[in-house]
Amino acid sequence: MSVVGYAFEEAWASLRRSGRSALVSIGTISIAFVTLGGFLLLSVNVQDVLDRWLQAAEMSVCLQDGATSEERGALETYLRAQPGVAAVEFVPKERALERFGADFPELRDVTESLGENPFPSAIEVRLRSDDSGDVIADQLAKDVQGRPGVADVRFDRRWLSRLIGIVTTARAAAAIAAAILMLGAAFTVAAVVRLSLYARRDELEIMQLVGAPFSYIREPAIMEGLLLGGVGAATALATVAVLYSLLAQWLGADLAGLIGVGQLRFLGWFEMASILMGGIGVGAAAGTVASRAVR
Amino acid sequence: MIETQSLAKTYGRGVYALRDLNLTIGKGEFAFLTGPSGAGKSTLLRLLLLQERPTEGSVIVGGRNLSSLKRDEVQAYRRTVGFVFQDFKLIPSKTVFENVSFVMRVLGQPVEHQRRATYQALKWVGLQHRLNALPQELSGGEQQRVAIARALVNDPHLVLADEPTGNLDPDLSLEIMNLFREMNARGTTVLVATHDRELIKWVGRRVIQLEHGQLAGAQEPRP
Repeated sequence: MSVVGYAFEEAWASLRRSGRSALVSIGTISIAFVTLGGFLLLSVNVQDVLDRWLQAAEMSVCLQDGATSEERGALETYLRAQPGVAAVEFVPKERALERFGADFPELRDVTESLGENPFPSAIEVRLRSDDSGDVIADQLAKDVQGRPGVADVRFDRRWLSRLIGIVTTARAAAAIAAAILMLGAAFTVAAVVRLSLYARRDELEIMQLVGAPFSYIREPAIMEGLLLGGVGAATALATVAVLYSLLAQWLGADLAGLIGVGQLRFLGWFEMASILMGGIGVGAAAGTVASRAVR
Repeated sequence: MIETQSLAKTYGRGVYALRDLNLTIGKGEFAFLTGPSGAGKSTLLRLLLLQERPTEGSVIVGGRNLSSLKRDEVQAYRRTVGFVFQDFKLIPSKTVFENVSFVMRVLGQPVEHQRRATYQALKWVGLQHRLNALPQELSGGEQQRVAIARALVNDPHLVLADEPTGNLDPDLSLEIMNLFREMNARGTTVLVATHDRELIKWVGRRVIQLEHGQLAGAQEPRP
């Protein structure tokens, strides 16, 4: 039998002997990976929303009340010629008022009480969504700001960029929290593996005395860590899947309607494989550290 | 086969377990190592098994200075040595067959060879009918016979035994000694540490007497 086969057999027997301590170890890994999986799930869905919002992001060039049709025409021609611009549409102030009234009927009284239309005429610019979009849009906003007939430039991407910044910070914080939890899980696995090595100390002593290669002595410990990590990560994935399906059932439709996306989605194959491999890697590393106790 | 040169082993601050020990045991020889408790018998066996390293001097086995062996070489060396202890050192969770075949298995021997060699070793010690028994289901004598089968299964050049009959009654002790004699008759060098004078007299082989970690005397086998 190969070293790997021997290691697997011994590790499995050891896990069965360990019982409760192995379960505690699997539980600790699962908690760490449920946190990581939950964060990844949130992250992919938030990213979807941001992507859609970025795709729909518009720049509104508000015109002065006294802007001439020549000035407006020149602006439209200029904007259409820019590489980051996908579409240009003129929205007169009357249509802006109608749109506001349709979107917020309960506030219609407020605009009527003013006695005049408070909305400016505007040119709405749909921007292309690519990597250089933000840079081009920033430059475009600056260029347009000083042109004749322009009162103001409102640009959705600015607050979206701030939102992306906040999400990025939140992602980093979640990654750090997951890393700390994984470190804790690794220590637990190492402790469990070390305990099982202690339980097998007579066997290990005999193995050393008969001249067994160190791979035969250490690899069952590494395999044990690997199995603990793998089972822990798989349990975490199953838990995240169950939680996701419950949440999607309860909140899915409302949440999707609220944030304007079609459907929430579960983790992709890559994310799931990463979690599983992460668990196996953390477990194997902890097993390797614990196996160093055998000299 | 075995040669020690000015061998010394100390524990703590200058407490000598062995002191200036010069000893030679020839290839194929059967020798007893005897002396009172604390004489250094077990220490010498531990040095021969490389469970410990000498403080001074050297241990040479089969022409190789054990002090110069690296970690992996230590494991390779141990594969050429069989050992038998007073407390048998069997793995309680493994059957008789597994306790013996385990040696072949961890040395990466083919499965068929493992089975054949294990069966032959157990047959030689008369336990071919207890292959599936666990160690705790065996008598002390049977457990020691399993330990002897394990020591032999890899066909070692040298077998070391530390008080192998310490837990056995006189009849079983003689039975175990006969196994060592048969082993030696097949060409294996055997070194048995014991303080059982009757047993030594009965077997009638070379006796190496240790006292306070030093050689107190050597007696050649009776004709």
